[in-house]
Amino acid sequence: MTPGDVLGVTAVGVVVGVDLVTVPQAMTGRPLVAAFVGGWIAGSPIYGLLIGVVLELFALETLPVGASRYPDWGPPSVAAGALFQPGPDGVFATPFWPWLLSLVLVAALVAWLGGWAMDAVHRANGAAIVRRAAALDAGDPRALIGLQAWGFVRDAGRAALLTLVALLLGGFVAQVVADQWRASPAVAENAVLAAAMGVAAAAAWRLYARGKTARWLVAGVGAGLAGALLWV
Amino acid sequence: MGVSQRAIPGFAVTTARLFGIQSAFSYERMLGIGFGHAVEPLLRPLRERDGGAPYRDALARQSRFFNAHPYFASIAVGAAARAELDGEAPERVERMRTALCGPLGALGDRLIWAGWLPACVALGLVLVTLGARGWGVAAFLVLYNVVHVVLRVWGLRAGWRAGLRVSGALGHPLLRQGLVSVGPLAALAVGAALPMVLGWVVRRGLAWSLVWEHFLTVVVGTVLFVVVLQRLHARLSGLGLAMVVMGAAVVGGVVWP
Repeated sequence: MTPGDVLGVTAVGVVVGVDLVTVPQAMTGRPLVAAFVGGWIAGSPIYGLLIGVVLELFALETLPVGASRYPDWGPPSVAAGALFQPGPDGVFATPFWPWLLSLVLVAALVAWLGGWAMDAVHRANGAAIVRRAAALDAGDPRALIGLQAWGFVRDAGRAALLTLVALLLGGFVAQVVADQWRASPAVAENAVLAAAMGVAAAAAWRLYARGKTARWLVAGVGAGLAGALLWV
Repeated sequence: MGVSQRAIPGFAVTTARLFGIQSAFSYERMLGIGFGHAVEPLLRPLRERDGGAPYRDALARQSRFFNAHPYFASIAVGAAARAELDGEAPERVERMRTALCGPLGALGDRLIWAGWLPACVALGLVLVTLGARGWGVAAFLVLYNVVHVVLRVWGLRAGWRAGLRVSGALGHPLLRQGLVSVGPLAALAVGAALPMVLGWVVRRGLAWSLVWEHFLTVVVGTVLFVVVLQRLHARLSGLGLAMVVMGAAVVGGVVWP
Protein backbone atom coordinates (compact mmCIF):
# COMPACT_ATOMS: atom_id res chain seq x y z
CA MET A 1 0.00 0.00 0.00
CA THR A 2 1.46 3.34 -1.05
CA PRO A 3 1.52 6.47 1.17
CA GLY A 4 -1.09 7.89 -1.20
CA ASP A 5 -3.34 4.90 -0.50
CA VAL A 6 -2.87 5.36 3.26
CA LEU A 7 -3.77 9.04 2.91
CA GLY A 8 -6.83 8.26 0.79
CA VAL A 9 -8.06 5.54 3.14
CA THR A 10 -7.54 7.81 6.15
CA ALA A 11 -9.44 10.66 4.48
CA VAL A 12 -12.36 8.34 3.79
CA GLY A 13 -12.05 7.03 7.35
CA VAL A 14 -12.53 10.57 8.63
CA VAL A 15 -15.60 11.13 6.44
CA VAL A 16 -17.31 7.91 7.53
CA GLY A 17 -16.14 8.32 11.14
CA VAL A 18 -17.69 11.75 11.64
CA ASP A 19 -20.84 10.52 9.91
CA LEU A 20 -21.81 8.33 12.85
CA VAL A 21 -22.60 11.14 15.31
CA THR A 22 -21.26 14.52 14.20
CA VAL A 23 -22.33 15.14 10.62
CA PRO A 24 -24.48 14.16 8.68
CA GLN A 25 -25.62 10.72 9.96
CA ALA A 26 -26.19 9.57 6.38
CA MET A 27 -24.97 6.05 7.23
CA THR A 28 -21.86 6.23 5.05
CA GLY A 29 -20.12 4.72 8.08
CA ARG A 30 -22.03 1.44 7.75
CA PRO A 31 -19.55 -1.36 6.97
CA LEU A 32 -21.39 -2.19 3.75
CA VAL A 33 -20.54 1.27 2.43
CA ALA A 34 -17.23 2.01 4.15
CA ALA A 35 -15.52 -1.29 3.33
CA PHE A 36 -16.70 -1.11 -0.27
CA VAL A 37 -15.14 2.34 -0.64
CA GLY A 38 -11.95 1.14 1.10
CA GLY A 39 -11.72 -1.77 -1.33
CA TRP A 40 -12.36 0.54 -4.23
CA ILE A 41 -9.47 2.81 -3.18
CA ALA A 42 -7.15 -0.19 -2.85
CA GLY A 43 -8.13 -1.56 -6.26
CA SER A 44 -10.65 -4.34 -5.68
CA PRO A 45 -14.09 -3.13 -4.57
CA ILE A 46 -15.61 -6.62 -4.73
CA TYR A 47 -13.40 -7.92 -1.91
CA GLY A 48 -14.04 -4.73 0.04
CA LEU A 49 -17.71 -5.47 -0.44
CA LEU A 50 -17.25 -9.05 0.75
CA ILE A 51 -15.66 -8.07 4.05
CA GLY A 52 -18.13 -5.20 4.33
CA VAL A 53 -21.04 -7.64 4.12
CA VAL A 54 -19.52 -9.78 6.88
CA LEU A 55 -18.90 -6.73 9.10
CA GLU A 56 -22.41 -5.47 8.39
CA LEU A 57 -23.78 -8.59 10.08
CA PHE A 58 -22.00 -7.53 13.28
CA ALA A 59 -23.18 -3.93 12.88
CA LEU A 60 -26.84 -4.98 12.65
CA GLU A 61 -26.70 -5.31 16.43
CA THR A 62 -25.69 -1.66 16.84
CA LEU A 63 -28.48 0.80 17.57
CA PRO A 64 -26.87 4.27 17.81
CA VAL A 65 -29.21 5.43 20.55
CA GLY A 66 -28.44 8.71 22.35
CA ALA A 67 -25.88 8.58 25.12
CA SER A 68 -25.30 4.82 25.05
CA ARG A 69 -21.82 3.63 24.07
CA TYR A 70 -21.81 1.77 20.77
CA PRO A 71 -19.09 0.60 18.36
CA ASP A 72 -17.98 2.84 15.51
CA TRP A 73 -17.72 0.59 12.46
CA GLY A 74 -16.84 3.20 9.83
CA PRO A 75 -13.06 3.74 10.17
CA PRO A 76 -12.13 0.06 10.76
CA SER A 77 -14.40 -1.00 7.89
CA VAL A 78 -12.64 1.33 5.46
CA ALA A 79 -9.29 -0.05 6.60
CA ALA A 80 -10.46 -3.68 6.42
CA GLY A 81 -11.86 -3.14 2.92
CA ALA A 82 -8.54 -1.66 1.80
CA LEU A 83 -6.50 -4.48 3.35
CA PHE A 84 -8.58 -7.44 2.18
CA GLN A 85 -7.18 -7.42 -1.33
CA PRO A 86 -5.71 -10.09 -3.60
CA GLY A 87 -2.30 -9.67 -5.21
CA PRO A 88 -1.82 -8.29 -8.73
CA ASP A 89 -2.44 -11.78 -10.12
CA GLY A 90 -5.86 -11.89 -8.44
CA VAL A 91 -4.75 -14.52 -5.90
CA PHE A 92 -4.54 -13.92 -2.15
CA ALA A 93 -0.96 -14.19 -0.86
CA THR A 94 -2.26 -15.31 2.55
CA PRO A 95 -4.87 -18.04 3.15
CA PHE A 96 -8.29 -16.55 2.36
CA TRP A 97 -10.36 -17.48 5.45
CA PRO A 98 -7.63 -16.93 8.13
CA TRP A 99 -6.93 -13.53 6.55
CA LEU A 100 -10.64 -12.68 6.59
CA LEU A 101 -11.03 -13.84 10.22
CA SER A 102 -7.98 -11.83 11.33
CA LEU A 103 -9.18 -8.65 9.64
CA VAL A 104 -12.73 -9.04 10.95
CA LEU A 105 -11.40 -9.50 14.49
CA VAL A 106 -9.16 -6.43 14.13
CA ALA A 107 -12.08 -4.40 12.76
CA ALA A 108 -14.32 -5.52 15.62
CA LEU A 109 -11.68 -4.57 18.21
CA VAL A 110 -11.11 -1.16 16.63
CA ALA A 111 -14.88 -0.56 16.33
CA TRP A 112 -15.23 -1.33 20.03
CA LEU A 113 -12.29 0.99 20.77
CA GLY A 114 -14.04 3.61 18.64
CA GLY A 115 -17.00 3.56 21.02
CA TRP A 116 -14.69 4.37 23.94
CA ALA A 117 -12.95 7.08 21.90
CA MET A 118 -16.36 8.58 21.11
CA ASP A 119 -17.07 8.66 24.83
CA ALA A 120 -13.82 10.60 25.35
CA VAL A 121 -14.80 13.09 22.63
CA HIS A 122 -18.19 13.67 24.27
CA ARG A 123 -16.51 14.27 27.62
CA ALA A 124 -14.07 16.71 26.00
CA ASN A 125 -17.02 18.52 24.43
CA GLY A 126 -18.61 18.73 27.87
CA ALA A 127 -15.46 20.25 29.36
CA ALA A 128 -15.32 22.81 26.54
CA ILE A 129 -18.96 23.73 27.15
CA VAL A 130 -18.24 24.33 30.84
CA ARG A 131 -15.38 26.67 29.85
CA ARG A 132 -17.73 28.66 27.58
CA ALA A 133 -20.70 28.60 29.96
CA ALA A 134 -20.67 32.36 30.57
CA ALA A 135 -20.73 33.15 26.86
CA LEU A 136 -23.49 30.59 26.29
CA ASP A 137 -25.59 32.02 29.09
CA ALA A 138 -25.15 35.45 27.52
CA GLY A 139 -26.50 34.13 24.19
CA ASP A 140 -23.26 34.63 22.25
CA PRO A 141 -23.62 32.92 18.85
CA ARG A 142 -19.81 32.80 18.41
CA ALA A 143 -19.57 30.46 21.40
CA LEU A 144 -21.98 28.06 19.68
CA ILE A 145 -20.06 28.16 16.40
CA GLY A 146 -16.76 27.59 18.20
CA LEU A 147 -18.08 24.63 20.19
CA GLN A 148 -19.61 23.05 17.10
CA ALA A 149 -16.39 23.52 15.11
CA TRP A 150 -14.16 22.08 17.83
CA GLY A 151 -16.54 19.19 18.33
CA PHE A 152 -16.13 18.38 14.66
CA VAL A 153 -12.33 18.67 14.88
CA ARG A 154 -12.19 16.30 17.88
CA ASP A 155 -14.35 13.73 16.15
CA ALA A 156 -12.38 14.00 12.90
CA GLY A 157 -9.13 13.45 14.83
CA ARG A 158 -10.66 10.44 16.56
CA ALA A 159 -11.75 8.97 13.21
CA ALA A 160 -8.34 9.55 11.61
CA LEU A 161 -6.57 7.90 14.53
CA LEU A 162 -8.90 4.90 14.47
CA THR A 163 -8.43 4.45 10.73
CA LEU A 164 -4.64 4.55 11.05
CA VAL A 165 -4.66 2.13 13.97
CA ALA A 166 -6.82 -0.32 12.01
CA LEU A 167 -4.87 0.12 8.79
CA LEU A 168 -1.28 0.03 10.05
CA LEU A 169 -1.18 -1.66 13.45
CA GLY A 170 -4.24 -3.84 12.85
CA GLY A 171 -3.12 -4.72 9.34
CA PHE A 172 0.29 -5.80 10.63
CA VAL A 173 -1.18 -7.96 13.41
CA ALA A 174 -3.72 -9.55 11.06
CA GLN A 175 -0.98 -10.32 8.56
CA VAL A 176 1.14 -12.03 11.24
CA VAL A 177 -1.83 -14.11 12.42
CA ALA A 178 -2.78 -15.17 8.89
CA ASP A 179 0.84 -16.05 8.03
CA GLN A 180 1.19 -18.19 11.18
CA TRP A 181 -2.12 -20.03 10.66
CA ARG A 182 -1.65 -23.80 11.01
CA ALA A 183 -5.15 -25.23 11.45
CA SER A 184 -7.55 -25.99 8.63
CA PRO A 185 -8.94 -22.84 6.94
CA ALA A 186 -12.39 -24.26 7.72
CA VAL A 187 -11.80 -23.40 11.40
CA ALA A 188 -11.41 -19.74 10.46
CA GLU A 189 -14.37 -19.87 8.09
CA ASN A 190 -16.72 -21.45 10.59
CA ALA A 191 -15.61 -19.12 13.40
CA VAL A 192 -16.05 -15.88 11.46
CA LEU A 193 -19.32 -16.87 9.81
CA ALA A 194 -20.90 -18.38 12.92
CA ALA A 195 -19.93 -15.28 14.94
CA ALA A 196 -21.23 -12.87 12.29
CA MET A 197 -24.44 -14.79 11.66
CA GLY A 198 -24.87 -15.36 15.40
CA VAL A 199 -24.66 -11.64 16.22
CA ALA A 200 -27.04 -10.74 13.38
CA ALA A 201 -29.50 -13.52 14.19
CA ALA A 202 -29.48 -12.63 17.90
CA ALA A 203 -30.12 -8.98 17.01
CA ALA A 204 -32.99 -9.94 14.68
CA TRP A 205 -34.41 -12.20 17.38
CA ARG A 206 -34.22 -9.45 20.02
CA LEU A 207 -35.80 -6.81 17.77
CA TYR A 208 -38.42 -8.71 15.82
CA ALA A 209 -39.21 -12.10 17.36
CA ARG A 210 -42.10 -10.78 19.44
CA GLY A 211 -45.64 -9.73 18.57
CA LYS A 212 -46.71 -9.02 15.03
CA THR A 213 -43.22 -8.76 13.61
CA ALA A 214 -42.35 -12.36 14.53
CA ARG A 215 -44.33 -13.86 11.66
CA TRP A 216 -42.71 -11.39 9.25
CA LEU A 217 -39.29 -12.45 10.50
CA VAL A 218 -40.14 -16.11 9.89
CA ALA A 219 -41.51 -15.27 6.45
CA GLY A 220 -38.32 -13.37 5.68
CA VAL A 221 -36.09 -16.24 6.71
CA GLY A 222 -38.15 -18.57 4.53
CA ALA A 223 -37.89 -16.24 1.57
CA GLY A 224 -34.17 -15.80 2.20
CA LEU A 225 -33.56 -19.54 2.28
CA ALA A 226 -35.43 -19.91 -1.00
CA GLY A 227 -33.45 -17.04 -2.45
CA ALA A 228 -30.14 -18.54 -1.29
CA LEU A 229 -31.03 -21.89 -2.87
CA LEU A 230 -32.34 -20.49 -6.14
CA TRP A 231 -30.37 -17.36 -6.95
CA VAL A 232 -27.31 -16.70 -4.81
CA MET B 1 -45.77 39.76 17.09
CA GLY B 2 -46.97 37.19 14.55
CA VAL B 3 -44.76 35.76 11.85
CA SER B 4 -45.88 34.70 8.38
CA GLN B 5 -46.25 30.95 7.98
CA ARG B 6 -45.11 31.18 4.38
CA ALA B 7 -41.74 32.81 4.90
CA ILE B 8 -39.13 31.12 7.04
CA PRO B 9 -36.13 33.44 7.46
CA GLY B 10 -32.86 31.48 7.56
CA PHE B 11 -34.60 28.26 6.58
CA ALA B 12 -31.82 27.04 4.27
CA VAL B 13 -29.03 27.74 6.77
CA THR B 14 -30.95 26.12 9.59
CA THR B 15 -31.65 23.08 7.42
CA ALA B 16 -27.93 22.72 6.68
CA ARG B 17 -27.03 23.13 10.34
CA LEU B 18 -29.52 20.44 11.37
CA PHE B 19 -27.26 17.83 9.77
CA GLY B 20 -24.57 18.74 12.31
CA ILE B 21 -26.85 19.04 15.32
CA GLN B 22 -24.75 16.51 17.28
CA SER B 23 -21.33 18.05 16.55
CA ALA B 24 -20.85 19.31 20.11
CA PHE B 25 -22.70 16.39 21.73
CA SER B 26 -21.98 16.16 25.46
CA TYR B 27 -23.48 14.26 28.36
CA GLU B 28 -24.38 17.50 30.13
CA ARG B 29 -26.39 19.20 27.36
CA MET B 30 -26.71 16.34 24.85
CA LEU B 31 -27.86 18.02 21.61
CA GLY B 32 -28.36 21.41 23.27
CA ILE B 33 -25.42 23.23 21.68
CA GLY B 34 -26.29 21.90 18.22
CA PHE B 35 -29.91 22.87 18.81
CA GLY B 36 -28.90 26.45 19.58
CA HIS B 37 -26.56 26.52 16.58
CA ALA B 38 -29.30 25.23 14.26
CA VAL B 39 -32.05 27.54 15.51
CA GLU B 40 -29.89 30.67 15.50
CA PRO B 41 -30.54 31.75 11.88
CA LEU B 42 -34.29 31.58 12.50
CA LEU B 43 -33.93 33.83 15.56
CA ARG B 44 -32.09 36.63 13.75
CA PRO B 45 -35.21 38.82 13.34
CA LEU B 46 -35.12 39.16 17.14
CA ARG B 47 -31.83 41.06 16.89
CA GLU B 48 -33.82 44.10 15.79
CA ARG B 49 -35.97 44.16 18.93
CA ASP B 50 -34.92 45.94 22.15
CA GLY B 51 -31.27 46.19 21.20
CA GLY B 52 -30.98 42.44 20.60
CA ALA B 53 -31.75 41.34 24.16
CA PRO B 54 -34.61 38.99 23.09
CA TYR B 55 -32.25 37.38 20.54
CA ARG B 56 -29.54 36.71 23.13
CA ASP B 57 -32.03 35.48 25.73
CA ALA B 58 -33.65 33.14 23.22
CA LEU B 59 -30.29 31.80 22.05
CA ALA B 60 -29.18 31.11 25.61
CA ARG B 61 -32.47 29.27 26.27
CA GLN B 62 -32.25 27.21 23.10
CA SER B 63 -28.67 26.11 23.85
CA ARG B 64 -29.58 24.35 27.08
CA PHE B 65 -30.10 20.62 27.52
CA PHE B 66 -32.01 18.93 24.74
CA ASN B 67 -32.14 15.28 23.80
CA ALA B 68 -34.05 13.58 20.99
CA HIS B 69 -33.47 11.58 17.86
CA PRO B 70 -31.25 13.79 15.66
CA TYR B 71 -33.58 13.61 12.63
CA PHE B 72 -36.72 14.47 14.58
CA ALA B 73 -35.02 17.25 16.54
CA SER B 74 -35.85 19.42 13.52
CA ILE B 75 -39.50 19.46 14.64
CA ALA B 76 -38.48 20.95 17.97
CA VAL B 77 -36.10 23.43 16.31
CA GLY B 78 -38.89 24.75 14.06
CA ALA B 79 -41.40 24.89 16.88
CA ALA B 80 -39.01 26.61 19.30
CA ALA B 81 -38.03 29.22 16.72
CA ARG B 82 -41.65 29.96 15.94
CA ALA B 83 -42.55 30.26 19.61
CA GLU B 84 -39.63 32.62 20.27
CA LEU B 85 -40.52 34.83 17.31
CA ASP B 86 -44.16 34.86 18.36
CA GLY B 87 -43.05 36.24 21.72
CA GLU B 88 -44.31 33.34 23.81
CA ALA B 89 -43.38 33.34 27.50
CA PRO B 90 -39.92 31.82 28.08
CA GLU B 91 -41.22 29.27 30.57
CA ARG B 92 -43.77 28.00 28.01
CA VAL B 93 -41.04 27.62 25.38
CA GLU B 94 -38.81 25.75 27.80
CA ARG B 95 -41.68 23.52 28.87
CA MET B 96 -42.35 22.63 25.24
CA ARG B 97 -38.68 21.78 24.62
CA THR B 98 -38.59 19.56 27.67
CA ALA B 99 -41.86 17.87 26.78
CA LEU B 100 -40.68 17.04 23.24
CA CYS B 101 -37.49 15.19 24.28
CA GLY B 102 -39.12 11.88 25.17
CA PRO B 103 -41.63 11.56 22.31
CA LEU B 104 -39.16 12.66 19.61
CA GLY B 105 -36.52 10.28 20.94
CA ALA B 106 -38.89 7.33 21.14
CA LEU B 107 -40.33 8.06 17.69
CA GLY B 108 -36.89 8.14 16.08
CA ASP B 109 -35.67 5.04 17.87
CA ARG B 110 -38.65 2.99 16.71
CA LEU B 111 -39.08 4.44 13.26
CA ILE B 112 -35.43 4.85 12.21
CA TRP B 113 -32.93 2.95 14.36
CA ALA B 114 -35.00 -0.20 14.87
CA GLY B 115 -37.01 0.04 11.64
CA TRP B 116 -36.00 1.97 8.58
CA LEU B 117 -32.22 1.59 9.02
CA PRO B 118 -32.19 -2.22 9.40
CA ALA B 119 -34.75 -2.53 6.60
CA CYS B 120 -32.59 -0.50 4.19
CA VAL B 121 -29.37 -2.25 5.23
CA ALA B 122 -31.00 -5.64 4.73
CA LEU B 123 -32.32 -4.63 1.33
CA GLY B 124 -28.83 -3.48 0.35
CA LEU B 125 -27.40 -6.81 1.51
CA VAL B 126 -30.01 -8.76 -0.48
CA LEU B 127 -29.23 -6.73 -3.61
CA VAL B 128 -25.50 -7.39 -3.18
CA THR B 129 -26.10 -11.13 -2.88
CA LEU B 130 -28.18 -11.02 -6.05
CA GLY B 131 -25.22 -9.60 -7.97
CA ALA B 132 -25.90 -5.86 -7.76
CA ARG B 133 -22.43 -5.26 -6.21
CA GLY B 134 -21.84 -1.53 -5.77
CA TRP B 135 -25.36 -0.75 -6.97
CA GLY B 136 -26.67 -2.54 -3.89
CA VAL B 137 -24.60 -0.19 -1.74
CA ALA B 138 -25.85 2.82 -3.70
CA ALA B 139 -29.46 1.63 -3.42
CA PHE B 140 -29.09 1.38 0.36
CA LEU B 141 -27.67 4.88 0.66
CA VAL B 142 -30.23 6.52 -1.63
CA LEU B 143 -33.25 4.74 -0.16
CA TYR B 144 -32.23 5.44 3.42
CA ASN B 145 -31.31 9.06 2.86
CA VAL B 146 -34.42 10.02 0.93
CA VAL B 147 -36.40 9.40 4.11
CA HIS B 148 -33.63 10.89 6.28
CA VAL B 149 -33.50 14.20 4.40
CA VAL B 150 -37.28 14.43 3.97
CA LEU B 151 -37.74 13.94 7.71
CA ARG B 152 -35.30 16.71 8.61
CA VAL B 153 -36.84 19.19 6.15
CA TRP B 154 -40.46 18.24 6.86
CA GLY B 155 -39.81 18.32 10.60
CA LEU B 156 -38.48 21.87 10.49
CA ARG B 157 -41.47 23.07 8.47
CA ALA B 158 -43.99 21.16 10.58
CA GLY B 159 -42.52 22.54 13.81
CA TRP B 160 -42.44 26.06 12.39
CA ARG B 161 -46.08 25.85 11.31
CA ALA B 162 -47.24 24.51 14.67
CA GLY B 163 -45.20 26.50 17.19
CA LEU B 164 -46.31 25.60 20.71
CA ARG B 165 -49.05 23.31 19.29
CA VAL B 166 -46.37 21.05 17.86
CA SER B 167 -47.70 17.87 19.43
CA GLY B 168 -50.19 17.69 16.54
CA ALA B 169 -47.29 17.21 14.09
CA LEU B 170 -46.35 13.99 15.88
CA GLY B 171 -49.75 12.57 14.99
CA HIS B 172 -49.20 13.04 11.25
CA PRO B 173 -50.85 10.13 9.35
CA LEU B 174 -47.63 9.23 7.55
CA LEU B 175 -45.73 8.92 10.82
CA ARG B 176 -48.51 6.77 12.32
CA GLN B 177 -48.57 4.56 9.23
CA GLY B 178 -44.78 4.39 9.24
CA LEU B 179 -44.74 3.16 12.82
CA VAL B 180 -47.21 0.41 11.92
CA SER B 181 -45.43 -0.69 8.74
CA VAL B 182 -41.73 -0.30 9.41
CA GLY B 183 -41.38 -3.07 12.00
CA PRO B 184 -42.81 -5.82 9.78
CA LEU B 185 -40.85 -4.45 6.81
CA ALA B 186 -37.58 -4.55 8.73
CA ALA B 187 -38.30 -8.02 10.13
CA LEU B 188 -39.05 -9.35 6.64
CA ALA B 189 -35.97 -7.75 5.09
CA VAL B 190 -33.54 -8.74 7.84
CA GLY B 191 -34.95 -12.28 7.93
CA ALA B 192 -34.47 -12.61 4.18
CA ALA B 193 -31.00 -11.08 4.18
CA LEU B 194 -29.39 -13.45 6.68
CA PRO B 195 -29.62 -16.76 4.73
CA MET B 196 -28.84 -15.00 1.45
CA VAL B 197 -25.73 -13.34 2.87
CA LEU B 198 -24.54 -16.61 4.32
CA GLY B 199 -24.93 -18.36 0.98
CA TRP B 200 -23.22 -15.52 -0.85
CA VAL B 201 -20.21 -15.23 1.49
CA VAL B 202 -19.61 -18.97 1.64
CA ARG B 203 -19.86 -19.17 -2.13
CA ARG B 204 -17.03 -16.60 -2.51
CA GLY B 205 -14.40 -18.86 -1.00
CA LEU B 206 -15.44 -22.38 -1.95
CA ALA B 207 -16.53 -24.60 -4.78
CA TRP B 208 -20.26 -25.32 -4.85
CA SER B 209 -19.68 -28.99 -3.93
CA LEU B 210 -18.29 -27.92 -0.56
CA VAL B 211 -20.70 -25.12 0.17
CA TRP B 212 -23.57 -26.96 1.82
CA GLU B 213 -21.42 -28.87 4.30
CA HIS B 214 -20.03 -25.55 5.55
CA PHE B 215 -23.42 -23.90 5.33
CA LEU B 216 -24.86 -26.42 7.78
CA THR B 217 -21.86 -26.14 10.13
CA VAL B 218 -22.28 -22.39 10.27
CA VAL B 219 -26.04 -22.66 10.81
CA VAL B 220 -25.49 -24.97 13.79
CA GLY B 221 -22.81 -22.59 15.15
CA THR B 222 -25.17 -19.65 14.68
CA VAL B 223 -27.97 -21.34 16.61
CA LEU B 224 -25.58 -22.16 19.47
CA PHE B 225 -24.33 -18.57 19.42
CA VAL B 226 -27.87 -17.17 19.65
CA VAL B 227 -28.77 -19.50 22.53
CA VAL B 228 -25.66 -18.51 24.50
CA LEU B 229 -26.29 -14.83 23.81
CA GLN B 230 -29.90 -15.06 24.95
CA ARG B 231 -28.73 -16.49 28.26
CA LEU B 232 -25.87 -14.02 28.76
CA HIS B 233 -27.45 -10.96 27.17
CA ALA B 234 -27.44 -8.82 30.30
CA ARG B 235 -23.73 -9.47 30.84
CA LEU B 236 -22.31 -9.70 27.32
CA SER B 237 -23.10 -7.99 24.01
CA GLY B 238 -23.15 -9.90 20.75
CA LEU B 239 -19.97 -8.16 19.67
CA GLY B 240 -18.28 -9.10 22.95
CA LEU B 241 -19.15 -12.76 22.54
CA ALA B 242 -18.11 -12.65 18.87
CA MET B 243 -14.71 -11.23 19.80
CA VAL B 244 -14.24 -14.00 22.36
CA VAL B 245 -15.18 -16.69 19.79
CA MET B 246 -13.02 -15.24 17.02
CA GLY B 247 -10.13 -14.61 19.42
CA ALA B 248 -10.25 -18.23 20.56
CA ALA B 249 -10.29 -19.36 16.92
CA VAL B 250 -7.26 -17.17 16.14
CA VAL B 251 -5.28 -18.51 19.08
CA GLY B 252 -6.30 -22.07 18.23
CA GLY B 253 -5.46 -21.63 14.56
CA VAL B 254 -2.00 -20.22 15.27
CA VAL B 255 -0.89 -22.66 17.99
CA TRP B 256 -2.39 -25.70 16.22
CA PRO B 257 0.25 -28.52 16.32
